[in-house]
Amino acid sequence: MTVDAPVAEGSFDLELSEEQELVQRTARDWARERVLPLAGEIDEKAAVPRELVAEMAKLGFMGIDVPERWGGAGLDTLSYALVLEEVDRACASTGVILASHVSLACAPILRYGTDEQKDRFLAPLARGEKLGCFALSEPASGSDAAAMRTAARRDGDAWVLSGTKNFITNGAFADLTVVFAQTDPAKRHRGIVAFVVEKGTPGFSVGKLEKKLGIRGSDTAQLHFADVRVPDDHRLGEVGQGFAIAMSTLDGGRVGIAAQAVGIGRASLEDALAYAKEREAFGQRIADFQAIQGKLADMATEIDAARLLTWRAASMRDRGERYGPEAAMAKLFASDVAVRAARECVQIFGGYGYLRDYPAERHYRDAKITEIYEGTSEIMQLVIADDMLRAKG
Amino acid sequence: MKILVCAKQTPDSTVRVKVAPDGRSVDAAQITWAVSPYDEYAVEMALERKDADASTTVAVVSLGAARAKDSLRQALAMGCDEAILVSGPGAEALEGLGVAKALAAVAQEAKPDVVLCGRQASDDDQGLVGAALAEALGWPHVATVTKFAPADGGPAGSVNGIDVWKEVEGGHEVWRAPGPVVLTVQKSEKEPRYPSLPGIMKAKKKEIPEKDVASLGIGASLPKPEIVKMEPPAARGGGKIMKDGDAKRTAQELARLLREEAKVL
Repeated sequence: MTVDAPVAEGSFDLELSEEQELVQRTARDWARERVLPLAGEIDEKAAVPRELVAEMAKLGFMGIDVPERWGGAGLDTLSYALVLEEVDRACASTGVILASHVSLACAPILRYGTDEQKDRFLAPLARGEKLGCFALSEPASGSDAAAMRTAARRDGDAWVLSGTKNFITNGAFADLTVVFAQTDPAKRHRGIVAFVVEKGTPGFSVGKLEKKLGIRGSDTAQLHFADVRVPDDHRLGEVGQGFAIAMSTLDGGRVGIAAQAVGIGRASLEDALAYAKEREAFGQRIADFQAIQGKLADMATEIDAARLLTWRAASMRDRGERYGPEAAMAKLFASDVAVRAARECVQIFGGYGYLRDYPAERHYRDAKITEIYEGTSEIMQLVIADDMLRAKG
Repeated sequence: MKILVCAKQTPDSTVRVKVAPDGRSVDAAQITWAVSPYDEYAVEMALERKDADASTTVAVVSLGAARAKDSLRQALAMGCDEAILVSGPGAEALEGLGVAKALAAVAQEAKPDVVLCGRQASDDDQGLVGAALAEALGWPHVATVTKFAPADGGPAGSVNGIDVWKEVEGGHEVWRAPGPVVLTVQKSEKEPRYPSLPGIMKAKKKEIPEKDVASLGIGASLPKPEIVKMEPPAARGGGKIMKDGDAKRTAQELARLLREEAKVL
């Protein structure tokens, strides 16, 4: 018996449109001039760069792929990936604040919200007046999201939520949370429902802030729901649709994290390249040693391949095609590339690579998370293999 | 108020240009093109006026190759209302006075209250076009401008002269020019804004009309001085590192070198 493995299909056009190029250039100029000079300090102080978030709002980044009707810029997913790569090239903390807001808070409201919910919740997010987050993980359930314990109990025209969410990016200073809860544990993933919960709702509070290895300038918080009463008109989609909402949202999020990984990889390459051209050993630039050239060449090749996988997944999403496995491939590969590129960057910097005075060790610490959040590499493999086994028998 | 900004597309200032094999031009292969920095200040200055008074309209014109459309698109994305490209055979080869005459023809049709130009372009640094444009239009010209605003008084909606802030040695002066006027820009109050993403999407929908330079009736071109040779600056010599561990001796040696070799003391 022979079986077909998945092959790349569809159109093949790597040319960016005029506006995509302008978007890329705008993001690159802004990130280089405004974000990069602050990146070291943001990491060192583990301080959320609020002024940069305000600037991103002004530039239209916070609603990049939201239609103009709801306050967004109306651009496509590929443009979003271009912006993320540039922002993450400069600072992965700033990048993940943007990615969580756009991919995880705006996207599910855009896709599953009613027009009224979009007017009320999405538009202020897209205009950057409010910041969003996505609350799925719990202390005892990460990859196995269906095992969540946060409960939603119907009470008249409202719901009462109780439980704790964990590892919530933007959690501490978000104005609005897309949160998932279980209506009936026996139903597993078919019992899950999604809500929009606003900051200040009685019973809803921010718990401890996590201390992290990398992306230290983005806050990661625990969120507590102590009998939080949420009106039924804050429900996204149908009861029981929550798991599907979470999974489809994460598909989009993975394109974003793949783009982030490409950005961190590029930062590693560009910094290593600059250092290798300056640093001398044994009477010549270390860039003139083949051992260093081999590393730089591999980094460049792998980063470009990761970028192409990311662009493909983004383009498929833009064309309305099913793109979950391709998004998983992009994230699986790009995150692996980012970690390897960052490790080689530290190696090329040698002893200086181990010091906080240089950016290499920051890239190394930042890169690792891309193999974990929005689905670990092992979950990516599961998504890719599952699709292959199901589709091809 | 109606403002017309003249913007030239030049090699991006962050790109390291290389001399082409002919030894007299810049290698165009690796170049990223952008609005010349002083012209970008002029765009920003016009948009700052628009920020202050929303009834202001800003048009931007570029003369040059068809690729200058990308720079015009960027100016639209920054917030300009309309853009005009003057192109066609011979456009790129025009000397400064010819450029000024062509821009004058555009200005006569657009009838702006103020024309803004950067003080000089970053490629040839000639600084000729702004002043020549004022001459061609028969309008006054103010140079090294950092800000302008309509003068007070006069009926609402009309422009009763233009107040112009200009940089001078050790301070600034405020001049009042009767409108219309040509201003050559030193610097805007703020750094040029980034195009916003909604701005990019709005700009995408705008048509950029093209005018053929031959249709503007600028007459015979003047003889153009030509570049016969281009040389990159000489490579910097290596620095001197003083490794003597003794601070006093090192300081003495440094002072001697600064006085006798570098001759800066």
